[in-house]
Amino acid sequence: MSNSPAPNKQWKISRIELETWLDEIAVARTLIAPRLVSGIFLYRHVTNSSEIAWSEEKSESPHTSRPILSSKEVFFPPTERLFTIQKSGQEIHLEENYPNWETVVFGVRPCDARGVKLLDAVFMDTIPVDSCFARRRGNTTLIGMACKELNSNCFCTSVGGAPDDAHDMDIMLYEADGEYLVEAVTEKGRFLIPGGEWKETSETPPKSTSNGQFPIPQKGKWLEHFNDDYWIKISERCLSCRACAYVCPTCRCFMVRDEMIQPGEFERIRCWDSCGGENYRRVAGGHKPRAEKGERLRNRFYCKFYYYPEQYGLNAESACTGCGRCIEVCPAGVDITEVLLDLEKSV
Amino acid sequence: MYEPRIIAFLCSWCSYTGADSAGIARIKSPANIRAVRVPCSGRVSPELIIKAFDQEADGVLVLGCHIGECHYDTGNHRTAKRLPILRNLMAFAGLEPERIRLDWVSASEGERFSKITEEFTQVVRSLGPVHWRVDQNGIQVDKRLAISREAIPYPVTDCTAKTDAIREKARELLTSQRVGCVIGYEISLRGRTRPVFVYTPDEVERLVWNPDCTNNLVTYLPAKLRAVKGQETLKPVAIIVKPCDSKSINVLLAENLIQRDQVHAIGVACDGIQGLDGNLQTRCVPCQEAIPVICDTLISGTMSSLIPRVKSYARDEIAELDTAKPAERMEFWLGQIDRCIRCYACRQACPLCNCPECLYEGDDSTFIGLGIELNEKRTFHLGRAFHLAGRCVGCNECERACPMGIPIGLLNQKLAADIVAAFDHRAGLTVARSPIVSVLSGEYKEG
Repeated sequence: MSNSPAPNKQWKISRIELETWLDEIAVARTLIAPRLVSGIFLYRHVTNSSEIAWSEEKSESPHTSRPILSSKEVFFPPTERLFTIQKSGQEIHLEENYPNWETVVFGVRPCDARGVKLLDAVFMDTIPVDSCFARRRGNTTLIGMACKELNSNCFCTSVGGAPDDAHDMDIMLYEADGEYLVEAVTEKGRFLIPGGEWKETSETPPKSTSNGQFPIPQKGKWLEHFNDDYWIKISERCLSCRACAYVCPTCRCFMVRDEMIQPGEFERIRCWDSCGGENYRRVAGGHKPRAEKGERLRNRFYCKFYYYPEQYGLNAESACTGCGRCIEVCPAGVDITEVLLDLEKSV
Repeated sequence: MYEPRIIAFLCSWCSYTGADSAGIARIKSPANIRAVRVPCSGRVSPELIIKAFDQEADGVLVLGCHIGECHYDTGNHRTAKRLPILRNLMAFAGLEPERIRLDWVSASEGERFSKITEEFTQVVRSLGPVHWRVDQNGIQVDKRLAISREAIPYPVTDCTAKTDAIREKARELLTSQRVGCVIGYEISLRGRTRPVFVYTPDEVERLVWNPDCTNNLVTYLPAKLRAVKGQETLKPVAIIVKPCDSKSINVLLAENLIQRDQVHAIGVACDGIQGLDGNLQTRCVPCQEAIPVICDTLISGTMSSLIPRVKSYARDEIAELDTAKPAERMEFWLGQIDRCIRCYACRQACPLCNCPECLYEGDDSTFIGLGIELNEKRTFHLGRAFHLAGRCVGCNECERACPMGIPIGLLNQKLAADIVAAFDHRAGLTVARSPIVSVLSGEYKEG
């Protein structure tokens, strides 16, 4: 990952130029962008820019809408075939399934890009490298779109992000008055930008507005309160579904199994899993290490704010990117920011 | 030439021997039949039939003993009730209903066995290969229904009287120690209305009532009653219920999952619930029930005349799908279910999905793979809908909990309508079990 520290090159383009550019990208590569599918927004393959879901107020603020699932699914799909196994007689033949196509993801939000960066630490920066993830990551260019403001569930500024944070993108777009300021953040991003056609500029990108801050409790706090009844109390309403983990940009647990495709042909698949489910980490003999709902929900928060920083260090204070999707989808109203406040308050 | 693959589930007491009789008598039967010998046609669970189609069967034939001749007395009665409902469900999901057939063949009826299998093979052959199994994901079909759900704005409603009454009742119940816990609603810091569990009288101020009280709290009830079982005295639990929620208490009572004296139901006269968009939730649009069917305390009120009660969008949508061609229905459902991420929020939010271990989960499920793929997701949703047939009270929590906006409630409501038509059974109105999933009712009322 080459995050060049030098002042990035910038261009200013119109909506039409943007659409033409995206159309060109869609021809040569797989373009993935927010798309409206039966009333909800998802990152999906689009064949041209007209299929992209821009937000409702298309005329005033030409901005893409934020998908309900994070861009994690592009790199770490819900189900992924790792390889196929052909068996004939005594012979066993394995064939890897590497994704080889060049992909561009458009309309990535800073929280999503940060999520991908945090996943890098898990899948790519520690040995052994996860080859499927690494291949997808290497083939993919992220075109970000700065959020103009935080929505009611967002708290990225509290966890070290910002609505206009370009750090983890390859190309960043800022929208202002129907025009777009394009910033090439990495070499990979610059490669996608058409040479002389666009007007160069040295304007400073428009600043986004942000709202209040949530405190992030220190490590000691987390250690201190591990055995508190608090976790049982807040988990009472938890339904033990996995919606929060599956929409999260950084939840990365998976399960691997071999399944039959047809007699003699098998596949090894890897699927999303979540510590919210009751059978998570069940071992032979049926023992479930986290049988209680409170233990499972506690694990989710500890994983984000304690285990991840402990394990993968970096400069990350947490594995939470503050996107607020878990708050949005929770059918029972479990709220991660409330946990942060409560923990900070406790002495 | 195309030859269909047909799975035939044959009862070992009758039709399996019937097939033998056909063979002994040298009567020709089609070679398309793959026989699966079962101890009784009642043993053929719907999951097996769905699985047969998942594994690319072109047709499924179930042959049992004639009514009145079951070796186990009533096994075939179960089949006779279950299969037509399953066929409706599969047809609703886009399978041609002719691909499932139930019939009766006794041990001596070799000729009848041959005739039925010949007929069925002919029917399936003329239908052509089945297109049930799908081998790709991300099919990107976005087929919308023509019915548009009209938004009915929710009027500003003052709920302070109801809130006060709930708090007062909760305080009384907790102070007198008649209940150990009150399950109700509170408003979170963020302003969201959500479930809360109150154990002491000084916490009752947290309880509220407002038009956002959407959760069906009965979901929490069985676990709450189990959780306190270990304590010396098992105290009843008080729970705030809307009319739709109260029906799920009746189903739990009928299925012996909770006891009546363990529950103190605080029923709230309901005026409909508001969605996140500030409009009346679509499930509430046709609802005429203001008073819970079961309550020990009633927090009364009148239904607001400001909210027009019109037609049921779900019913119209089901009718629209029913009149569509099977291929169109299939396309619609595949497009919807494609979005499923198998988070199981629907199942977890459901007050009546209460198996200790879900058939459609886990690394050792017989009926479903581990993958979050289209086939598996459809099998899960169809299986779940069937397990709720005659039990689903229509609270639509599954659909609300779904982060992907899949109209799963339509499957349940389709089956509920079929069961009303066939058995005149409406789930939860009284303490009665489902006529098809859990009991043999109907013909055997006198016993």
